[in-house]
Amino acid sequence: MSERKPMKVPPIERVSEVVVEVPQGARPDMHVPVRVFADDELMSQLLRDHSLEQLLNVSALPGVTRQALGMPDMHEGYGFPVGGVMGTVLPDGVISPGGIGFDINCGVRLLASRMRADDVKAELPPLLHELSRSVPTGYGRAGRLELDEEELDRVLEGGVPYLISRHGLGLPEDPQFIESSGRMPAADASCVSERAKQRGADQLGTLGGGNHFLEVQRVAEVFDEDAAEAFGLFTGQVTVLIHTGSRGLGHQVCTDYVREMDASLSRHGIELPDRQLACAPFSSPEGKRYFGAMSAAANFAWCNRQALTHRCREVFARVLGGKAEGGLRLVYDVAHNIAKVERYGARDLCVHRKGATRAFGPSNPEVPPPYRSAGQPVFIPGSMGTESYVLAGSDRSAEISLNSCCHGAGRSMSRTAAKKAVKGDQLRRELEGRGIIVKCPSNAELAEEAPLAYKDVSRVVDVVERAGIARKVARLVPLGVLKG
Amino acid sequence: MEQRGTSEAMSAHSFEEHTGEVRVRLSAPTFEALLVEAGRALAELLADEPPGELQEAERVTLQDVDRAALLVHWVDELIFLSETRKRLYSDLRVHSASEREVVADVRGWPASRVRTAVKAATFHGLKVSEGPGGFSAEVVLDV
Repeated sequence: MSERKPMKVPPIERVSEVVVEVPQGARPDMHVPVRVFADDELMSQLLRDHSLEQLLNVSALPGVTRQALGMPDMHEGYGFPVGGVMGTVLPDGVISPGGIGFDINCGVRLLASRMRADDVKAELPPLLHELSRSVPTGYGRAGRLELDEEELDRVLEGGVPYLISRHGLGLPEDPQFIESSGRMPAADASCVSERAKQRGADQLGTLGGGNHFLEVQRVAEVFDEDAAEAFGLFTGQVTVLIHTGSRGLGHQVCTDYVREMDASLSRHGIELPDRQLACAPFSSPEGKRYFGAMSAAANFAWCNRQALTHRCREVFARVLGGKAEGGLRLVYDVAHNIAKVERYGARDLCVHRKGATRAFGPSNPEVPPPYRSAGQPVFIPGSMGTESYVLAGSDRSAEISLNSCCHGAGRSMSRTAAKKAVKGDQLRRELEGRGIIVKCPSNAELAEEAPLAYKDVSRVVDVVERAGIARKVARLVPLGVLKG
Repeated sequence: MEQRGTSEAMSAHSFEEHTGEVRVRLSAPTFEALLVEAGRALAELLADEPPGELQEAERVTLQDVDRAALLVHWVDELIFLSETRKRLYSDLRVHSASEREVVADVRGWPASRVRTAVKAATFHGLKVSEGPGGFSAEVVLDV
């Protein structure tokens, strides 16, 4: 195996204990400074890969404003780093499919029961067993809802409200607890290729593989009683966290538009440090069509998590009977990989979040009314088998981080290195020894997602809080995990 | 680094370290052979069961702006076919490959599962170069 060239480290200035900045002049093509939220330990970890260099590339994109931002979980991706955030000034700043990623609107949603984990200990094994039977995971397993092309188009444009009203997959109150109410109105199914629709036709209601998971959890600790009460969370409670995205449909949308924008760069006079950053002015025909297609794929992803929520509700009711009274309430659903048009001062920006989520403060009108006293719920899942955090966004995050927060612990080790460092069957035994039920057919995939391959989530969360982006509300620990 | 037999002498691929994704390094005596090797690397990543019976050949014709884009396009095409046909493609015959066009026949076998789900090939750090010994390339796959 040949070695890659180490990254040439640019001049880095520490702004505070949890913020560093690379000044604009560090590279001649930078239009704005680069700012990363990291303490010394996280900074030393991210300098081991090429993520900072990738964020410098982002700072060179046409129309970028303020700073190119790196969240505390930032690590090397392709084009954008994972955990990268950028705003471009509309109408002519660019939109970049590679700045959103292939898994458009990969995201997480949290469901809350009214049950205490102590009261359903005996039922957890059959519950996880039934979930593993009802939720299609991995490759090639179709969802129960196969759609013809016309119906798929209606789902792509109608999003979760349509899925609930037409197919009955949810409760009328669910959409208000989903980012963008589960439907981006810019969605245009005619901008989604036939090939993308072919890939997605049988994938609604499927978890997929990789780092996607469904976890049954217990609220282990509450940090902020008022916010927890607003979110309907209490110590000992059983919750469910679902992590998946737009599946093959979203992957193909990104593939199609990266190729189209790569071919149109010279026409727009755009030169790039990395072809995967292929982009076009938001106002251009390519930009408009990509935003229509991306919005449709985002709606598909919200519908995917909605269909999985419906299956979870069915399984909980079937296995737990009367104990599941009150069902599973949707706490919130956030997107990880998405571009949104958001207003900052007098300007509309196209905010790209790649492996990053929104973190709106209490005064933002997009925060659901029941959460206006607390702020938008922000979820930071740890690695498999470790704790996850619920936070509440702050109003200061608009200025600090373009209303953005990190999306997880962040990988620190490649999948190959993880498999060398830990054996899947050993990890399975270790997790089961800690009382965590593991439903994952492949020991190799289990090893790839081993906790040691990720950064310390509590350190990442601590940096988020100290930076003023969001504050801790609750800590969740796994009871059982279902992986593709 | 995997070496191929006499008919594909000097064709090889290896998987390089990348924090989040998979970087594939390829070398082959011709661009046609390089594309075949890229397909083999993809099949190696995907395959999680012994190969089954090869199905009928499917004609693949791709056009793009340069060789590097064609390499990404080719891998993306195999990913698309694998996902929609539920097959893994191990029999790859590239009839012609210029700087702008590829024509090939590919045959796959039915697969019920994959080892590593591959979403797409990327342009990130993409390199295709021609030297005295043939072609070499690097491509990052999103997994």
